[in-house]
Amino acid sequence: MRLSRLILLTATFCLIAISVRSETTLEWWQFWTDPTVKPVLQEIVADFEEQNPDIKVNMTDLTWSNGHEKIVIAMASNTAPDILELGSDWIAQFADNGHLADISDDIAKDSSGMRGWSLAEYNNKIYARPWFLGTRVIFWNKDLVEKAVDSLPFVPVKFSDIYDAATKVSKLGKNIYGWGSNSPEKHRLYKKFMPFFWSSGAQLFSDDGKYCVLASTYGVEALTQYKQLHDSCGFLGNQRAIEDAFLDGKIGFVISGDWLLKRIALENRDINFATSLFPGPKYPGKSFLGGEYLAVSESSPNKSAALEFIRHITSAANQIKFCKANHSATPSSSEALSDPYFSSNAHLSLFNRQVVLAAHPPVDPDWVEIESLIEEAVEEALFGSGKIAVPLLDAQRKIEAIKAR
Amino acid sequence: MLQSRLNWFWLTLPWLLIFGLFWLFPVIYSFVLGFTNYRLLASGFDWIGFENYTRLISDPLFLSSLKNTALFVAVTIPATTILSLALALLVNRRFKGRALFRSGFFLPSITSMVVIALIFTNLLQRGGYIALLVEMIGLSPPENGFLLDSATALFSIMAMDVWMSVGYYMLIFLAGLKAIPEELYEAAEISGAGSFRKFFSITLPLLRPVMLFIVVVNSIKSFQVFVEIFVMTSGKFDTSTMVYFIYNTGLTTHFDLGYASAAAYALFVIILAFSLAQFFIIRRKEAIW
Repeated sequence: MRLSRLILLTATFCLIAISVRSETTLEWWQFWTDPTVKPVLQEIVADFEEQNPDIKVNMTDLTWSNGHEKIVIAMASNTAPDILELGSDWIAQFADNGHLADISDDIAKDSSGMRGWSLAEYNNKIYARPWFLGTRVIFWNKDLVEKAVDSLPFVPVKFSDIYDAATKVSKLGKNIYGWGSNSPEKHRLYKKFMPFFWSSGAQLFSDDGKYCVLASTYGVEALTQYKQLHDSCGFLGNQRAIEDAFLDGKIGFVISGDWLLKRIALENRDINFATSLFPGPKYPGKSFLGGEYLAVSESSPNKSAALEFIRHITSAANQIKFCKANHSATPSSSEALSDPYFSSNAHLSLFNRQVVLAAHPPVDPDWVEIESLIEEAVEEALFGSGKIAVPLLDAQRKIEAIKAR
Repeated sequence: MLQSRLNWFWLTLPWLLIFGLFWLFPVIYSFVLGFTNYRLLASGFDWIGFENYTRLISDPLFLSSLKNTALFVAVTIPATTILSLALALLVNRRFKGRALFRSGFFLPSITSMVVIALIFTNLLQRGGYIALLVEMIGLSPPENGFLLDSATALFSIMAMDVWMSVGYYMLIFLAGLKAIPEELYEAAEISGAGSFRKFFSITLPLLRPVMLFIVVVNSIKSFQVFVEIFVMTSGKFDTSTMVYFIYNTGLTTHFDLGYASAAAYALFVIILAFSLAQFFIIRRKEAIW
């Protein structure tokens, strides 16, 4: 009797010990592979593991060129990781199909004034937590532009200001271009066109959301302006080639994000440049707003631990740490934004002025298809028939067909 | 006897398992998917019969991809065959540095297609070396570069593909040339045959099996052209081919795997018909010869 009690007690003790020692492993797929940034991320993860000894985090690197496809396949085969870094454009697609956990309650627990929740809201529910917001501004080469224009100081307020200056810059010499014009690059070209589109007053859907109005007068005007810059003085290349040429002093104006500030700093580039808000008929214009978000898979068995990790990584302190390493301008946390790092640099401040003036694509599960149709229309105008209204109308019809499905 | 059969079974079992799991099952499963509206992210799917196949016939993008693939096959196969034969004849002669030329012509075929495609993307861009060469001979290159113009994009990719493959097929032709008995040429010379006569009466007929092998292998490869398109144009500017269409439909923007499976089977039927026709021709010609 005594022996059996002893055995029972030992077994219970062992079971408790095992359950206490059991460890949760979180799988996290993310896109940061840059050697200047990854160690900081690993440090933040290590801090979390130290604070939560029963949780381990496995990081898997993805690339922007095929990360979306990998995530789709993982979700379709029920092998999605616990935590996913997602581009804001993808959230609705995954949420619509029930692959992301509803984390609406998380907003109530947010005390750091997180910005950008609206990009993760679909059907009145929140499916991801904003990490970094992203926008684009106008970068211009001061040496070239100030040499080309007549009146100084130069402040681009209207599109015509940029067009006039860019065409003059292109006349400064052989291999000098006024404008960096993107070649057809998936998920990228439309982000260059949309600021023109929104700043011109155009919108994608009617106010009631029933009709696509891509080819409105404003839309046609926006594409005409974009094409004029391309035709008259465009340096044609992918984003990397455009930025290379800009840093080499060959281009007057380019549209770019805060990653260009990072390149200039890390590569120690000797370029006299300025950044400006997007121009438009109602200055300032609207740039493109996107962001990087962290979401929890609906199939994850460790949702609360995953959410805990997401809160840790998006905390104000960790966002500041990460922004400094990555030269990021626009953290999602308002508390992080109050750090002097962001206000001490004129370019970072400008990014933060632009981000509140930016527009984002509709949170729509069909957005990936819609953006490819917008890109096709821009490509047709720039590299195909040269017509403006016809490709826009064609894309509008196709978008309406998608919405009618 | 039974033991021997059992041994055979156990020895081939690993291969059979791999074949069944990674080849046979996907082939059968994708055939079934071709009759459904299955999308990768959707929770379920319905049986829709031949709807995907009828949709293919009226899909302008599929028809354009089919046309581009046919054009790719029709242009690259004769070009590659003729050029590789010409090179094989050239490097079959005895001259100083022959080995260097053979290696030089063969080198592109062992280089990664992605690497070559990236190099050519650079060469073919606006202001690139090929555009400069075209300007030097007094012609005007496309305004936005060769790959951003529907009139030149596919032909530029074809030219690169021919350049890359020609060395590999040259080597096969060279092996065929080595197998032709020298006595036949000696006998022809004694009979007073010239170079052209020897080529058309001895070399070409005896190279026929090699040539037909090259045509069959190259046409299957050309029907499946993908990497070049993926890297250089992403199927834009009228360069989408059948395999790119399948990839784009099933695994990128649309994730429409049911429709992509139907397109894959349409391609399978086309390649099967083409290969059967070629085999039929081979057998007839062999019977004639």
